[in-house]
Amino acid sequence: MSLASVVADYLRKMGGTTPGGPPRVGREEVIWSWIGAFIGIGAVGWLDQHFLTGTDLTLMLGSLGASAVLLFGTPRSPLAQPRNLIGGHALSALVGVASWQLLQAEPWLAQAVAVATAIALMHLTRTLHPPGGATALIAVIGSAQIHALGFLYVLIPATLGPLILLVVALVVNNIPRTRRYPEFWY
Amino acid sequence: MASMTTNSTTATEDAAPDADAVPELELADADILDAMRHIPGYLDITTADFRIIYHLAHAHAVARLFHGLTAGRLMRTGITGLPPATPLGAAARSFVEQGVKTLPVIDPDGRVLGVLTETDVLRQLGAASFLELLLQLLDGDGTLGDRGQDTATSAMMTTPAVTVTEHAGLREIMTAFRRHAGRGMPVVDAQGRCSGLLLRKDFLTACHLDESQ
Repeated sequence: MSLASVVADYLRKMGGTTPGGPPRVGREEVIWSWIGAFIGIGAVGWLDQHFLTGTDLTLMLGSLGASAVLLFGTPRSPLAQPRNLIGGHALSALVGVASWQLLQAEPWLAQAVAVATAIALMHLTRTLHPPGGATALIAVIGSAQIHALGFLYVLIPATLGPLILLVVALVVNNIPRTRRYPEFWY
Repeated sequence: MASMTTNSTTATEDAAPDADAVPELELADADILDAMRHIPGYLDITTADFRIIYHLAHAHAVARLFHGLTAGRLMRTGITGLPPATPLGAAARSFVEQGVKTLPVIDPDGRVLGVLTETDVLRQLGAASFLELLLQLLDGDGTLGDRGQDTATSAMMTTPAVTVTEHAGLREIMTAFRRHAGRGMPVVDAQGRCSGLLLRKDFLTACHLDESQ
């Protein structure tokens, strides 16, 4: 195989295989995605605001926004299932805190190691959940308050926050006739 | 890749189908997108990935459903073949006694020399079908007795016979039945000896998965 054809094949891959993505969902789906995400993020934020303000703890986490996309925007996706949601966040948080504690002298390295290792670990444990990468990264780039939590970050907020979203997803995603959640638990 | 497969199939339409004896539909993007529109909710899968999964799953399902569907399992045993010297009259009696319309012609070692069908016998008697023979008899044609009742089987048989081995699976059997018009064919063992007769109707019944389950 000549070099030219290898390069040509390589470049052809960049053209994609599919004319456009999946079709746009119906209006009812959009409305239920909105309602689910509103209640889910609202619940986490409300609890955070009413019970944890003034403490060293926090429930709200940027990566929960991404989890809400999966849980309420693509509830059928394997990435959005309970095992992935909880496992992905918890394992990634663990990796993130460890990366910060071991490599904080080189922040860029700690960040890269945290996200890359989180992905690898989620793959190996079949818990791949994209927001987990953000949870790992936040453990490194987070505020002094986050860093001060140490490994408590794994439980609060990185496990408790997703758990609240899970409860809301179970309640809301099973209301519409056209939805059900989860596809599998474990 | 998909279009290449289609082209090569068209170009060599007489060649034995080596890959897809069980026809597999080539799904267009439009087909998959239409199906996705029937499913409420966002499916995070591309049409290309769906097609790959479909092809692999189809191949797996075919392998699962037709596993163990071999000529050796479907064939009828206890069939007595015809020695090549058998005269027409005795051969015809053998068809009637065994209730089949095809019989293997075998040498003393059991090897398949050819195949004799009812049609071969009828042709020797000067008719293309039983109905034609019947009409000739009704018309008072008295020449039937003079039409080579003593003709040896070896002079009437089709040779070489299309056979399958005991291990032949779905694809090989389909290919073999496509190569000749008979209702049955001899099944041979590794040494080429006749071990049974595979009837087309038995094969089709086995392929009819809906009813067998």
